[in-house]
Amino acid sequence: MTPETSARALWIINGLTLLVAAIFLSPVLYSIWMSFQTSDAYYSGGVDFTLRNYDVAVGQYNFARYLLNSVIVSGIVTLLGISFATMAAFAFARFEFRGGNLMFGAVVATLMIPSHITLIPNYLTLARAGMLDSYAGLILPAISSGFAAFFLRQYIRGIPRALDEAAYMDGATPLKVLWRVIVPISKPAIFSMALQLFIAEWNNYIWPLVAISESDLYTLQIGLARLYRVNPGEDVIDWPLVMAASTITILPVLLGFVLVERHLVRGITMGAVK
Amino acid sequence: MSSITLRDIRKSYANGPRVLHGVDLDIGDGEFVVIVGPSGCGKSTLLRLIAGLERCEEGEIVIDGRRANELPPQDRNIAMIFQNYALYPHMSVLENIAFGLELRKVPRKTREARAREVAETLQLTPYLDRKPGALSGGQRQRVAMGRAMARDTSTFLMDEPLSNLDNALRNAMRTEIKTIHQRLGATIVFVTHDQTEALSLADRIAVMKDGYLQQFDTPAAIYDRPANRFVASFLGTPKMNFVTSDAVTGWTGRRGVEVGLRPDTLRLHRKKPGAASIEARLTLTEMTGSEVVLHCQTQSGAMSAIAHRRQDLPAPGERIWLEYDVAAAHLFDMHSGARV
Ligand SMILES: Nc1ncnc2c1ncn2[C@@H]1O[C@H](COP(=O)(O)OP(=O)(O)OP(=O)(O)O)[C@@H](O)[C@H]1O
Ligand SMILES: [Mg+2]
Repeated sequence: MTPETSARALWIINGLTLLVAAIFLSPVLYSIWMSFQTSDAYYSGGVDFTLRNYDVAVGQYNFARYLLNSVIVSGIVTLLGISFATMAAFAFARFEFRGGNLMFGAVVATLMIPSHITLIPNYLTLARAGMLDSYAGLILPAISSGFAAFFLRQYIRGIPRALDEAAYMDGATPLKVLWRVIVPISKPAIFSMALQLFIAEWNNYIWPLVAISESDLYTLQIGLARLYRVNPGEDVIDWPLVMAASTITILPVLLGFVLVERHLVRGITMGAVK
Repeated sequence: MSSITLRDIRKSYANGPRVLHGVDLDIGDGEFVVIVGPSGCGKSTLLRLIAGLERCEEGEIVIDGRRANELPPQDRNIAMIFQNYALYPHMSVLENIAFGLELRKVPRKTREARAREVAETLQLTPYLDRKPGALSGGQRQRVAMGRAMARDTSTFLMDEPLSNLDNALRNAMRTEIKTIHQRLGATIVFVTHDQTEALSLADRIAVMKDGYLQQFDTPAAIYDRPANRFVASFLGTPKMNFVTSDAVTGWTGRRGVEVGLRPDTLRLHRKKPGAASIEARLTLTEMTGSEVVLHCQTQSGAMSAIAHRRQDLPAPGERIWLEYDVAAAHLFDMHSGARV
């Protein structure tokens, strides 16, 4: 390829990328734009900028509270989930212990169980423990992620064991090896798994629906779903209001993604061993 | 204080063949022991057992008079230089070197000062902020060495720590290691493929082959009285020449013996001398500096000799005679290879 044709190819690739990005983004942008319209203007095809939808969503429908609940629940689930997954992955990747393979098999097996099957057993368990209608009830069933443990184990196995050994020689305990060597090197994998856990929990609908009846503990997804049903008498749905609520639901995730994105770069094991 | 005793160490890797077949080694406090042997003979395995990185199920490891088989590596307080460096890729050179001290809760100021000092002697100062990924092979090797040197310990295991350095650096580092050894009175177990290194550094050399210890003695003893044919041929460049006793004129000793002649004990003649000699045809000469290595073909096979460059040297293809002294020869049993 000559320099000119490669420059032209670059233009074409960039153009196509932009086009695809625009297609993917358009529903989001459209809904955000819609959320700033009055419903009258929206239904009559006009343009009338307003912040009232947000005011109603937060004030009348309590979305600030739902947002807080979602942040607390998803945040704690992510933090605990990724911690347990990382520790389990380290143990499975690096230590030989009796029943280890069996346990790992069990972890992998959980990946094949549809989440809906666990819904009723989980419900009964938490009901008996008196944990329905509480943050704990929302959080506990979600903090073990077999997939994250499995994925991180594979990642850690790719890290030369010589690094662990060097750290042991330097005087590190197994926990220190995990925290000072394995975790920093696995950062990209850990962050992607954490992001995945966070999004899955943020979008979780069925479990909060089942486990929570008290409206103070609703998460955003429940609140959003209820917006459709709040005014059964009116046969039109106030779409601009729904879009404002949706925007409140989407934005933190987008923001979070932008924040962790720079940690998702390729890992560094270069230069570690010959 | 650190002495290391290995008693009848055997080792096989998980469902692999046995790689160590009963090694006994007594390393005194402050001793510099060099382990040599062909690739794959179990040198690294032996170091890893001493370090505690491999489980020792057969035999006993005694460190400072106490059985250490079950002691985890982090509690042995031994510094190790890995054959493949094993640098922490996410830490800078400075952090790599200081990590061992950090784990032992040495205050930041102290440990960084110490790391800088070590880096200075290893000529690493310009790279302190770099990550290992941005270093050359030789620089990485020196970081690996710095990491061990910064440690507050008196036991070092070094697995070919100088293999990747250029000649000047290698000589400088060799001196550095020798200095540490003397200044700290450190016990050092050092693996190398380099004979000069082995002979010049060691208090005692352990020669290994196929998982067996062949000989464990001072460099002079190993060179002058090799325990068997393998040790004799392994140390010394060029290699020792071997001829069967039948080929020796006027041989009166026992039969079935191989006679080992070091190349530097052979004397070159262009005419048949009066003394005992072997007739040879010169095939190749090789300059090594002040000396020349002569490769020749004889009735008993290829042989080599060393001559001074001052001598007027024969050209390849010429007939020459190599005078030898049976009294200076090493004799080995033809079958067992053991010294007789
Ligand atoms: N983790 C392992 N699993 C199975 N076999 C191994 C393992 N490590 C080493 N070996 C085998 O054990 C033998 C000794 O290996 P070792 O690394 O100790 O040799 P070495 O003397 O250090 O060689 P070199 O000079 O090439 O470094 C070799 O045959 C090798 O293939
Ligand atoms: Mg080795």
